[in-house]
Amino acid sequence: MATLLVNGKSQTVDVSPDTPLLWAIREHLKLTGTKFGCGVAQCGACTVHLDGTAVRSCQTTIAQAAGKKITTIEGLHPQGRHPLQLAWIAEQVPQCGYCQSGQIMQAASLLAKTPKPTDDEIVAAMSGNICRCATYVRIKRAIKRAAGV
Amino acid sequence: MTTELNRRDFLKGSAATGVGMTLWFTLGDGVGRAASASAFDPDASMTITPDGLVTVHITKSEMGQGVGTALAQILAEELEADWKDIRVDYPTSDPKYGLMLTGGSWSVNWTFDTLSRAGAAARLALVDAAAQYWKVPAEECVAARSMVRHLPTGRSISYGEIVAKAPITRKFSEDDLKKLVLKKPSEYRVVGQWIQRLDIPEKTNGRAKFGIDSFVPGMVYAKTAYPPTREGGKHTAVDDTAAKKVKGWLKTIVNDQLVAVVATSYESAVKARDALKITWAPGPNAGVSSESIFRDFAAKAKDGAGAIEWHKGGDGAAAFAQAARVHQASYTTDYVAHMQMEPMNCVARFEGGVYDLYTGSQFQTLAMGTLAAVLKTDQKNIRIHQHYLGGGFGRRLDPDIILEAAIIAREAGRPIKLIRSREEDLRRDFYRSATLQTLRGGLDTSGKVAAWDNVIVATHPGNRWGPDFVDKQGLDQFALNGADHVYSVANQSVRAIRMETGISVGYVRAVAPNYTFFAVESFVDELADLTKTDPLAFRLSMLGDAPRLANVLRLAAERAGWGTPLPANVGRGLACVSAQEKKSPTWTASVVQARVDPATGQVRVEKIICAVDCGIVVNPDGVRSQVEGSLLFGLSNALKERGTVANGALVQSNFHDYQVLRMNDVPDVVEVHVVPSTEYPTGVGEPGATTIAPALANAIFAATGARVRGVPLIAERVLQAIKDKA
Repeated sequence: MATLLVNGKSQTVDVSPDTPLLWAIREHLKLTGTKFGCGVAQCGACTVHLDGTAVRSCQTTIAQAAGKKITTIEGLHPQGRHPLQLAWIAEQVPQCGYCQSGQIMQAASLLAKTPKPTDDEIVAAMSGNICRCATYVRIKRAIKRAAGV
Repeated sequence: MTTELNRRDFLKGSAATGVGMTLWFTLGDGVGRAASASAFDPDASMTITPDGLVTVHITKSEMGQGVGTALAQILAEELEADWKDIRVDYPTSDPKYGLMLTGGSWSVNWTFDTLSRAGAAARLALVDAAAQYWKVPAEECVAARSMVRHLPTGRSISYGEIVAKAPITRKFSEDDLKKLVLKKPSEYRVVGQWIQRLDIPEKTNGRAKFGIDSFVPGMVYAKTAYPPTREGGKHTAVDDTAAKKVKGWLKTIVNDQLVAVVATSYESAVKARDALKITWAPGPNAGVSSESIFRDFAAKAKDGAGAIEWHKGGDGAAAFAQAARVHQASYTTDYVAHMQMEPMNCVARFEGGVYDLYTGSQFQTLAMGTLAAVLKTDQKNIRIHQHYLGGGFGRRLDPDIILEAAIIAREAGRPIKLIRSREEDLRRDFYRSATLQTLRGGLDTSGKVAAWDNVIVATHPGNRWGPDFVDKQGLDQFALNGADHVYSVANQSVRAIRMETGISVGYVRAVAPNYTFFAVESFVDELADLTKTDPLAFRLSMLGDAPRLANVLRLAAERAGWGTPLPANVGRGLACVSAQEKKSPTWTASVVQARVDPATGQVRVEKIICAVDCGIVVNPDGVRSQVEGSLLFGLSNALKERGTVANGALVQSNFHDYQVLRMNDVPDVVEVHVVPSTEYPTGVGEPGATTIAPALANAIFAATGARVRGVPLIAERVLQAIKDKA
């Protein structure tokens, strides 16, 4: 049994401490916005925030996450209207959409620390997140729109 | 509650009144472009409810191409529905929908006419019902914005009210449907509009449901143990002593078809599966490698034995005999994996003789047929509950994961969720075949191409699915398309050599044209170079029969500044294609500008300028988005993706060694120019991808004078080509 603080709510999950946070979030808590893509921190589909910083939940254990504030795409904004989410709609970014929760969480972490990123800073921050539909041009545009740069 | 009615008793009045009406048409194969696999096309259908909402039932799969929005736009146009009343859903598989297949950039092309007629017929039926309700002549009534208005009195009634109050009695025969007069493109008010995609908001907040997001009551988790070779491996002994000790273990399943464990959670299923001690017989393919495959390909290509003629025009032998000059070149492409972001998965329940499968499928018809045959049941007992697809790219055409989940659920006696790891997903993929293409061109004394021959060695996917998916000669057109190019060459032939390698192949986005146009468009550049002709002018001289292709080629070249000076080691290359199929082409041309480091062979693509003519544009931003994505998918294939084989299986295991395009690889400029048109629409999900490898190879040649004839165009190959030239 582990207690996790997810999106401001304390939740008890019946998992062992070595379980990846990803599976606790997705399959135990059924917060399915966070996606499984590779299991080895190579694609970024499982990105969530731990105390406000983007991490790969597939490589974060329950033990590492315990006691920290975990934010998933469902908790990024109460109405789903974070500036990045609005920009994602305005720029019509998603295609299949599977990677986009991870992309948005990664971008949110970037903007929280670097509110006005340069193109190079965007590329550096986002190149760990794969989009197989290759919506990269629009992802970049949406981040710039949300940041007002 | 809704009532479904088929075309023959279209709109049975009393049954439809008050409860919502579902319109359901069957128009044979619609516009006659159905795959050879089947003689019928999906129905177009909708439900109009008393609340005024029009739900369009999308029997195509939504995998990011925006198909739900585009097909709803087509129907809404003729229905005269207000866009705000439109909803879409993705119905559970049913034989009544006909062919449920999504791929080939076919969706809009196959359904534009059918859905237009469905919308028009429904509008006429609603107008008639309103007229009868008012007891006025139907000719005095018009439909607009989900309302029917009686012109002389000015009174109006909404579609929802009609459904609630008025018997709807008008019926349409197939002939009636065919005779309906449809709008002219100049009258469109929904088609061609910049309408936001309906699926996007829920894809930004985590609410979009993919197959992997399914849960059913009582569900547990399963993991399969897969043999070490891609084909032909089998378990000979399974010891689950250690697996049973894993907390959460419920059952080990060993039968002729598979080895799997069932456990209470995903993580415990993984642990228990990993604890199985399995003895594998690797089968006859354990020695297969990339080297052995390409050696076999080359041996077959060399003697040409078994080459089957697939496409022929004129008399090639005579033309080659008379040619002033003959040029020959061979091109290879490596295996390519789908690498869709959502690993293959399925939730399965077997209860009361019925299999409920929760997943995302591109080919429900094949899945239903396959499962019914293997599980020895009727197709009506197979229900595929459709979800969003976390990438399709052709991977979800194959029903392998659905069948696996169904078998496990049956043996487990309870619902299970089966999720492949990325490693399993990649190793159990159906790859784009490795290929070897040998092209020969005969030039006459004036430098014109007089003869053309192309021998394509590849594995044909269709053979795996059965006789319906290959022609009488056993050839799969989807392994050869594109080689039958549209250039005016009087004498041309395409011959095919089919190979089985022990590595399973399937259909990967852009399919054969991805490799056939690499060879064709590289070879055209080689011939242009031999005749000292500009590649643009050389192509245009052969495009007299394809004016729309010539047009996009000119447009792309102009926007790219073709012919203007570039710095050293930077080159431009172009390619133009009639993908996805010659009979339903989206005329596409791209110019790629690339910088090559001659010391390392490293290539950096700086610009991609693409021009597209896909006929009528249903959703302009959707077209743009698909073309952008397909160009970059093509760039990923062209630059990075190289599947290699050892010991009968793919060597690569995950994104660290099977590299795909990331944001830092994206060119600074990706431009898409869409040509306005009133021609019948074709698809845009794939054609752009097919232009990139040849345009990039041609750009590398322009930058360095070195010809790279192997895709992917990796640094090692570029450097080798530069050395060979010196």
